[in-house]
Amino acid sequence: MFGLIGHLTSLAHAKRVADKLGYPEYADSDLEFWCMAPPQVVDEITVTSITGQKIHGQYVESCFLPEMLAGGRFKAACRKILNAMALAQRRGLSITALGGFSSIIFENFRLDSLRRVRNIDLEVRRFTTGNTHTAYIICQQLQLAAQRYVMDLAAATVAVIGATGDIGSAICQWLAAHTQLGKLLLVARDRQRLEELQANLKQGEISSLEAALPRADFIVWVASMSQGVVLDPQVLRDPCVIIDGGYPKNIASTLQRQGVYVIDGGMVEHSLDIEWNIMQFLNVANPARQLFACFAESMLLEFEGLHTNFSWGRNLITLEKLDLIGQLSRKHGFRPLMPEA
Amino acid sequence: MAQANVLPNSPQSLAGEARTALDYSSTVYRQAYSRINGIVIEGEQEANDNYLKLAEMLPEAAEELRKLAKMELRHMKGFQSCGKNLQVEPDMEFARAFFAPLRNNFQKAAAVGDLVTCFVIQSLIIECFAIAAYNIYIPVADEFARKITEGVVKDEYLHLNFGERWLGEHFSEVKAQIEAANAQNLPLVWQMLQQVDKDVESIYMDREAIVEDFMIAYGEALANIGFSTREVMRLSAQGLRAA
Repeated sequence: MFGLIGHLTSLAHAKRVADKLGYPEYADSDLEFWCMAPPQVVDEITVTSITGQKIHGQYVESCFLPEMLAGGRFKAACRKILNAMALAQRRGLSITALGGFSSIIFENFRLDSLRRVRNIDLEVRRFTTGNTHTAYIICQQLQLAAQRYVMDLAAATVAVIGATGDIGSAICQWLAAHTQLGKLLLVARDRQRLEELQANLKQGEISSLEAALPRADFIVWVASMSQGVVLDPQVLRDPCVIIDGGYPKNIASTLQRQGVYVIDGGMVEHSLDIEWNIMQFLNVANPARQLFACFAESMLLEFEGLHTNFSWGRNLITLEKLDLIGQLSRKHGFRPLMPEA
Repeated sequence: MAQANVLPNSPQSLAGEARTALDYSSTVYRQAYSRINGIVIEGEQEANDNYLKLAEMLPEAAEELRKLAKMELRHMKGFQSCGKNLQVEPDMEFARAFFAPLRNNFQKAAAVGDLVTCFVIQSLIIECFAIAAYNIYIPVADEFARKITEGVVKDEYLHLNFGERWLGEHFSEVKAQIEAANAQNLPLVWQMLQQVDKDVESIYMDREAIVEDFMIAYGEALANIGFSTREVMRLSAQGLRAA
């Protein structure tokens, strides 16, 4: 049995979903209440692979909300993630993906030092960030976008925003190894990490965000911790492809301009309908088939009996792992989500 | 990307925060501790009384219930030693008043032989509340109290929850009664917690974390008894908003 730990995108969203699901205690409550609300298993999931194999899973709603971070309620945020993980483990879930902000919180607040949750010692092998699959899918989306919009990658400038993060650095590695790019721009806050990444890649140009945006034909946005950045569509090239790998995905709604194509990064589409109810609340166009690649990673690991923390820690994603997860993704019928042609 | 731009810039750890330089000797701490220690001692004493009462009401299980009563008494003595260790006198008068509404409800139910309400109050509400509070207290306790409390929590997890099992075995016939007892008594717990809000903070505990831990333990118990997720979410949050 696999698991998914998820959360909703805002308090308003959470209240709407709670109302639709018929939980008035949750629907009518403010952030204070959500800060105290325990995690719940809210859905049972069945996934069928194109190989015919069927697996079952559970969806754990952590009751975390992004407003907890915005309001400095860091302890509550951390508690949500640890309690959701403890619940997944207590339910005996073999491999659980940490969706949305869950893995970012785990990493950022170094929750691996707090593994004891009540009478449970968290076994990290039961969890995966899903970042390997996310990175792989974003690389595929980049290549598919180049075909779709007839843009030559060999002559193109690709800017990776958040290049030194776990997903960003894996994307840079994969692009350096498998593609010929006109230019790779590396954008992140930490200069030292950028220099290390550049040395490892043996290519790439370190750039500021402001300098990178007007130069980029492709913008891969995987920064999850940037502060107060607002994208001005006027500075972007025409055409320009933005792969929005951030969470929640709000570039498409906030940035609309002729010649700018926004792709929901790190999303996959399954070839067969997935039996679940929760996805209809997560703002995707086809909830029976479309999902986050990080969630799909735990499904792939379950299909293959790979009950291990496949994606874990920072900057440990290798080319071999990217290739393996890509192979498994195709084998079981997942493909990168692309906008309607 | 507005909503993604909310994490602090540099990684930070919450792990070490709790145990750095806690002062157990300040007047504020000692005054708060006197009330909280009193509550814990009184809680264990009442648990003892309640299990002895339940043993009378359920003669076929009297032996097991008396054993539980004895265990609660042992816990009470442990917590008395925690107060002595810090040379703090527990405020028992405050503690008895604190528990009065729950105690009255238990005694009223016992007087009419209402086993279901008695089990909901003692085995579900009081037990889950105790375990939640102890779990949150452990990381901020003084060395002596930490060891005692860890031992108590271990005991609580080890012993099979008698009331939970009994209610589960009779679930179909007692479901409505459990819901009624929950509606009557859970709001009292939120009110009790609110009364000691400042004291909880003064001994470095996090009220939000206690409530969350309580809802986890209580929800788990309700689920074990036979309630669905939907029912668990409704029952375990009952009255919290109004508190």
